[in-house]
Amino acid sequence: MSIIQAKDVKKWFGDFQALKGISMEVAEGEVLVICGPSGSGKSTFIRCINRLEQHQEGQIVVDGTELTNDLKNIETIRSEVGMVFQSFNLFPHITVLQNVTLAPIWVRKKSRSESEEKAMELLERMGIPEQANKYPGQLSGGQQQRVAIARALAMEPKIMLFDEPTSALDPEMIKEVLDAMKVLAEDGMTMIVVTHEMGFAKEVADRVMLFDDGQMVEENTPELFFDKPKHERTKLFLSQIL
Amino acid sequence: MKNTLKYLVFFRNVVFLKWAFQIVFLLGLLSIIWNYIQNAVVNLENTNIAMGWGWLGETPGVSIAEGLYTLPNSGLQMIQTGMINMFRITITGIFAATILGTFLGIARLSKNYIVEKSSTGLLEVVRNVPLLVQIYFFQALVLSFPRLEVFDVGDYFIHVSAKGLAFPWFNRGPNAFLMMVYLLAIFLISNRIYKWRVEILEREGRETRPFLWSITSLVTLFIVGWYGGFRAVGIIGFIAGYISTGLELVPAIFYQALISGVTILIGYRVTKKFIDSKKSEEAQGVFIDDDYFKIILNIVVVLLVVVLMFSSFGAGLAGFLVGDELTFKADWGLPQFFNGVENKLHWYPSIDVELEAAIDGMKKGEIINWLIEPGKKVTEGDVIATAYATGTKIDKQEIELKASHTGNVESLLIEKGKSIKVGTPFYELEVTDGAPFEYSTPKVQQIGTTKFKEYADGHGKSISVGYFAIWLGVVLYTAIFISEVVRAGIMAVSKGQSEAGMSLGLRRGALLRLIVLPQAIRVMLPPMGNQYLNLAKNTSLGIAVAYPEVVAVGQTLYNQEGQTLPVFLIWMMFYSSVSLTISSIINYYNRKMKIVER
Amino acid sequence: MVDTIKKNIKAVQENLFSSVGSSILTIVTSYLVLNFFRGMFGFVMTSDKDWLSVLNNMQLYMVQAYPEDDFIRVWLSVGLTFVFAGLSIGLWRSEDRSNVSVMFDRLFKAGLGLLFFTIVAPTYTSYMGNDGFVITEEVFSSSSRLRILIPTLVITVGFFILKNLKINFSYNNSDAVFFYLFIPVALIWVVKLPTIQLDQNRERIIPDPLMPIANSTKIPWTIIFVSFLVSYFIGMYLKDKKRVKNVMSISWFLLPLLIFSWIFKKPQIDMGEVLTGDIPIFVIFFALGLATVLLINNPIFKKYFSLYLGVLAVLTIGGLFIGIPMLGKVCLLLLSLFTVVVPAVSTSKEGKRSLIIIWFVALVTLTFLLRGGASETGIVVPGSSIFGGFSLTWLLAIFGTYVSFPLGVLLALGRNSKLPIVRIVCTGIIELVRSVPYITWLFFASVTLAVFLPAGVEFNLIIRVLMVTAFFSGAYFAENIRGGLQSIPKGQYEAADAIGMSPFQKTGLIILPQALRAVIPTLVSSAITAFKDSSLVTIIGLFDFLTIGKTVIDNQSIPVNFVGHQRENLIFVAIVYWIFTFTLSRRSMKVEKRLGLGER
Repeated sequence: MSIIQAKDVKKWFGDFQALKGISMEVAEGEVLVICGPSGSGKSTFIRCINRLEQHQEGQIVVDGTELTNDLKNIETIRSEVGMVFQSFNLFPHITVLQNVTLAPIWVRKKSRSESEEKAMELLERMGIPEQANKYPGQLSGGQQQRVAIARALAMEPKIMLFDEPTSALDPEMIKEVLDAMKVLAEDGMTMIVVTHEMGFAKEVADRVMLFDDGQMVEENTPELFFDKPKHERTKLFLSQIL
Repeated sequence: MKNTLKYLVFFRNVVFLKWAFQIVFLLGLLSIIWNYIQNAVVNLENTNIAMGWGWLGETPGVSIAEGLYTLPNSGLQMIQTGMINMFRITITGIFAATILGTFLGIARLSKNYIVEKSSTGLLEVVRNVPLLVQIYFFQALVLSFPRLEVFDVGDYFIHVSAKGLAFPWFNRGPNAFLMMVYLLAIFLISNRIYKWRVEILEREGRETRPFLWSITSLVTLFIVGWYGGFRAVGIIGFIAGYISTGLELVPAIFYQALISGVTILIGYRVTKKFIDSKKSEEAQGVFIDDDYFKIILNIVVVLLVVVLMFSSFGAGLAGFLVGDELTFKADWGLPQFFNGVENKLHWYPSIDVELEAAIDGMKKGEIINWLIEPGKKVTEGDVIATAYATGTKIDKQEIELKASHTGNVESLLIEKGKSIKVGTPFYELEVTDGAPFEYSTPKVQQIGTTKFKEYADGHGKSISVGYFAIWLGVVLYTAIFISEVVRAGIMAVSKGQSEAGMSLGLRRGALLRLIVLPQAIRVMLPPMGNQYLNLAKNTSLGIAVAYPEVVAVGQTLYNQEGQTLPVFLIWMMFYSSVSLTISSIINYYNRKMKIVER
Repeated sequence: MVDTIKKNIKAVQENLFSSVGSSILTIVTSYLVLNFFRGMFGFVMTSDKDWLSVLNNMQLYMVQAYPEDDFIRVWLSVGLTFVFAGLSIGLWRSEDRSNVSVMFDRLFKAGLGLLFFTIVAPTYTSYMGNDGFVITEEVFSSSSRLRILIPTLVITVGFFILKNLKINFSYNNSDAVFFYLFIPVALIWVVKLPTIQLDQNRERIIPDPLMPIANSTKIPWTIIFVSFLVSYFIGMYLKDKKRVKNVMSISWFLLPLLIFSWIFKKPQIDMGEVLTGDIPIFVIFFALGLATVLLINNPIFKKYFSLYLGVLAVLTIGGLFIGIPMLGKVCLLLLSLFTVVVPAVSTSKEGKRSLIIIWFVALVTLTFLLRGGASETGIVVPGSSIFGGFSLTWLLAIFGTYVSFPLGVLLALGRNSKLPIVRIVCTGIIELVRSVPYITWLFFASVTLAVFLPAGVEFNLIIRVLMVTAFFSGAYFAENIRGGLQSIPKGQYEAADAIGMSPFQKTGLIILPQALRAVIPTLVSSAITAFKDSSLVTIIGLFDFLTIGKTVIDNQSIPVNFVGHQRENLIFVAIVYWIFTFTLSRRSMKVEKRLGLGER
């Protein structure tokens, strides 16, 4: 059964149409990689999935809950979908540990000790338990992004969204973040990843999609996507990026 | 689907909640305001003071220490005097504070130890002492000088007494406005010529000597102007005269309709443009809640303006514009304004000549016989009339009145046999000759036959204690803050810019003038605008030193009439519009600067 | 030795005479500064000034007409402030150390400066007398010049030697506070000041020799100094306890309330009201809070928790309009806020326990302060309020900030909100309030505000001034805070949304803490401006610090005539304001540096 269903999703920014009717499904435990040139609507689309942006037409259903103006539905979806941003967006005024425990304590209403235990576990999984009491500003970009992943995981989401998680990083730090994401994928997390890291796509993805100009141009398994693309646009894109 | 209702209940709908909250907020706010207004209505009924605007037209029966109308014949004239007094400080203050502040700001960046330290010291002193204390101190300083009465009558060069300061000055003659406008015009022309030559230089790549051209034209035009050419500006007065006549034909309702019409038009245009942008092929006519709100807001604003324009407020505003003297005795209308322009900027400006004390102690004059008539030419010093002077030691002493300027008599304002006070206009003269500005030194004279003394009008420039205290206070205070703005602005220009300039071989002065300042100004403009606003608002402290600016005048008025609420509303409207004006000027330059940047 | 002199000469050359222009500037500025100093010196020293008008009126300056019998209350409030300061300095004792030779160097330079200015001070000064003739007067005789010059020279040389001994001894910067405070306290036991006394004909005489400072001043200050020392050591002892620091921060906030409601005021408590009003209300609300904490994990209570919160909110808002005691209204508001945070904090046993303690302490404090504040005062000051002089200035500055800051935060959040109507309203309020000068708002408070209040409701002018100050300073605070809000990247909002935080949590936990921290320097400078602006109440006739110096003393003729001595008093007023604002701005600069904000 598919955990995310999108049907003919459209979205405008003023008089610019960012999404021109996207339809797709993601199965539980699947890793989906979305790529495409900048401005193609791929970020907008995944931001629509947890309501950071509001789609104006069409239907998005996440784990049986439709995204509408319903307050309860939005709350439900937000707590089931974790998100990792391109620019980390850690809260700079509190420590790493507090960053990770903030949502469990205030949103999930769990006790502090329980959340801290869980947070340390997550930080260990991300390979940075020793940074727990530092402030985000004292960490490298790669470490910050791993904290951001831990922060999203602390809400125990069913789905993780990654919005270009490595494009703000120095090359030597990209690997550590991708490794952390691989571990997640191996654990069976449903993931939608917007990225230009084609190596990651080849290795981890179950499916790869290409967005262009607000539309989904191609959808394929990684092997076929990279070796025998169906569309000219995909070939052009791959030739530019590889 | 779990968690999903068949249809969306309103209390879970985000959009509904968003607007419901806002409407409740607005209604709550309005009900609180309404509650207070009701209180006010009840309280005013109890105190038997009917709040209204009628007092604006009535004679307040108080005098103002200095300004345009020292004996105002209506509340409006009184407020007008206060406003003009406020602008006197604000405008001169802004110039002085900017110049002083810029110097101090640069001094604080100086490498010279003493210069840097002393300017920083001044900054720390002025910034950390309340402005009011400083103003009081300046006032106390001047007041500690001896009273004017202990000084002899006569001419001085610079004079300080408990009455104020007096110093030599170039006083304006009847032709001064013509000359000032002429000077402004030739500066603009030479600037234009400079730009034109630079344009040619850039287009054709040959040396066009823009600076030489502009300076030559400036000097030539100045010489031409000095020998009478400045009267060419009179064309403005000529045109203004026609406009004035034309405006007087326009009824008040026309302005009400005009403003309403323009508002409707603008509202329609803006809304239509917005809707069209939504209806474009790309946008496909999808409206969200905020878009509907925008449209509704536009309509509400337009309707409000229209309703307001056709209420008594609109009638009053239009009354101002047409100079409706029946409602308010003030010369505030557009026709009066253009009429004033016509008088001041005519080929030959026309003035109302006031009766001067021809002999010491003269208080009133009674014309025995006019020796002039309309259309007759008079030269300065000619005898124009014989009169009896009253108030002197000998009652009804016969004197001769002499012409103060050369020109053509336009009309006689006083019939013979009628007694008028000194200072009252008694004939109209079209001035044909005379220097625009006249240099003179201060003079101490007796007031009438009393033992009190004063600085004579038209002899040098004398300023009152209040004016001195408030002016120096706000200028120094603002200059200090401007110096901080200038310093921050210069420091914001990156070091690399200075180094690049130095590598081109520019000297420190040239570097500052050509590279650093133009860039710094862009950073400095917005905070500078804030400082100008603060200066304008700080002039309201004039009330503390009895300088009759708009707040002080307002206070006098409500003490007289009991109309506290209307006076407060006037203050609010006045200061809001001043703030709005200053910030729009700053915004205009800010935008202009940004365009240059591209 | 020769090397140092050479080095100094070179430094002087580089700093002052690097080029022709610089040399000219140096000479011109030096000339101006010197003349300014000579002029000021002459101004201060001439015989037409009566500095006794300042010295003799210290009591008036500080507390105006506050009755002498109750001075113990004034001393208590000053003492409490010093005790708090001592505790805080001890708690936050810095580890920075300074070397004594640095201090000797500074003192040596100060000595040099003093020497220089003693030498250049004018002997004669001229000023214009009342008859318009110039009077020339000896203001600084050569004998008094020598009397200052010789000791200064000796001390300066002493410091020079000490400085060059290069003593390797350092002291803790916080400990130095003790020393700075010790000097004035020691001085008041030694110094003798000129005073005015009246002879049998009620003519003023200046007694010779000078009089020592009165015991009524000396002894309290000494006690305060000792308690300061003691509290400093207590603070040092408690240094490592984080909770004590938190309590201290809140106590600083409550201290002015305590001073103005209990110490300065001398409340006349009606025990009947306390028994029938305060204690029942206290018990009810404590029980309610206790029940909420204890029942929070009960499933039935959890189910109706939102309803309970809603009812509380309605009661809180409704309570404002119905005639329940002030304590009840404030307790309702506090209970609503408390209930909001209970579910998040009371997840563990120790969390619950500390919540109950906090609730108890908060209620006790509130009851105590409100009872003191609302009671009649036992101090009768004929013809004016019990607050006057410096105490009024402080009251206006502190409470002005208290009431305007929360309003400023709300207005800033409103102006930055995504809700258009809220945004338009808040923008309108901020811009309207800011575009009109403060003095017009003060006039509004003094003459117009009463018109809008319900018939029969009358507030003291001080309260009315605080009401308009809340809006005026609030609008300025709002603009500062808005700057901070705008500096926060959009990503922070999105990240908070993405982890499912509610709008209130997002604002309170993520956005505001960052925004406020970013604008601390501008907030402090706004607070300084508010402190300076409080002097404007002089114009509407309140007896603040400035009014005393400007009007009250200038009109004193009985028993001693001080008419016409406004300038001396204005200079004194300016110096006092200067000391406070200058220290405050310097401190804020240090805090700013510590937070590393200036470096961004």
